[in-house]
Amino acid sequence: RSSDAGPAKFKPPSKPVIVDKQRQTAERRFLSPEFIPPRGRTNPLKFSVERKDMIQRRKVLSIPEFYVGHILAVTTADPYANGKTSRFVGICIRRGGKGLGATFVLRNVIEDQGVEICFELYNPRIQEIQVLKLEKRLDDNLMYLRDALPEYSTFDVNMKPQSYLDHEEVPVNKLQVRMKPKPWSKRWERPNYNIKGIKFELPEEKMKEAQKWSKPWLEFDMLREYDTSKIEEKIWKEVNEELKK
Amino acid sequence: MRLSVAAAISHGRVFRRFGGSPRSRLNLLRNLVTALVRHERIEAPWARVDEMRGYAERLIDYAKRGDHDEKAMRMADFWLTEKDLIHKLFKVLAPRYQPHPGKYTRMLQIPNRASVDRAKMAVIELKGNPFPPLIRPQPDSEKTLLNQLLKGYREDMQRAARA
Repeated sequence: RSSDAGPAKFKPPSKPVIVDKQRQTAERRFLSPEFIPPRGRTNPLKFSVERKDMIQRRKVLSIPEFYVGHILAVTTADPYANGKTSRFVGICIRRGGKGLGATFVLRNVIEDQGVEICFELYNPRIQEIQVLKLEKRLDDNLMYLRDALPEYSTFDVNMKPQSYLDHEEVPVNKLQVRMKPKPWSKRWERPNYNIKGIKFELPEEKMKEAQKWSKPWLEFDMLREYDTSKIEEKIWKEVNEELKK
Repeated sequence: MRLSVAAAISHGRVFRRFGGSPRSRLNLLRNLVTALVRHERIEAPWARVDEMRGYAERLIDYAKRGDHDEKAMRMADFWLTEKDLIHKLFKVLAPRYQPHPGKYTRMLQIPNRASVDRAKMAVIELKGNPFPPLIRPQPDSEKTLLNQLLKGYREDMQRAARA
């Protein structure tokens, strides 16, 4: 006799999963690259003392999260300008330095003249750093904008800050930049620069000749890799705890 | 003015050059790593063994990731020139070192090479190999003064406990 074992067991409906978008911001951890100590034989005490000073400065001035390719507006204290402040808007080309000497270079073309200013993140003269446009580029280093057509480096000085939501990922702009005719300041087509953001309009032979300088063994050289994941986590926890106080 | 002094300074450089191009340096170390994985204990000049040790340990770290990892497979494919050793690396060596977090090799210096160059040699072995150990730990003999005094003390205590 085919019979069910009594009435079917009551299965309650699955509980609704509430995805709180504001909670997800805590999942995206960003640690500014100047906190990560470089590989070397220096005493870690130096880095921890520097980190304390950096956190002290960050409590006074809020330094936003930014990458290479963002468009920033920086106001610095200038004794010779009327209003005593000077504002510069530009695209971040490069972030360099570790610790308190961390710098970033902003580039803009003003009245047909390319201008690059290297600011120090922890300079006490800097009064405000404002992110106008969020956008990551394909490379870590946009120095090739010097040899690109000037339209790619011009940004409106009175640009309004673009509003962005906290929890979204930073968008990557896959723009391929067109270059001025050669000669360039550096041979950007060579593989050691590893640039993905240029639209090379060079003939095929030149591209093949540039590949002669490629070093295919470099990716297998294991001792050159610097794994920073654990260091980053430790420092991120430390920095966050200090900033919350 | 001597402009070539800058070329002779090597402050903070950790990699030895081994008198050749960077490609030939990696090829040399690659052969040594392959030999180590095959024989598990090899003798070679001290400097080469010292350079190769870091690469061998990192290779085992990559192997611990498992052979489904694409990067680990590419690394093993480059570093082991004899392809049957890739199987040995992932199936024998990686499980052997799974419980340990690091330091999979032991390097000891040997008397200089017997040939004309008298090179400083070293032996490197993977821990847990099937050969007899390189260093036999010698326990203290019973005839030393301290051991004799301790033995006398132990016997006194046993006599006092019995009485």
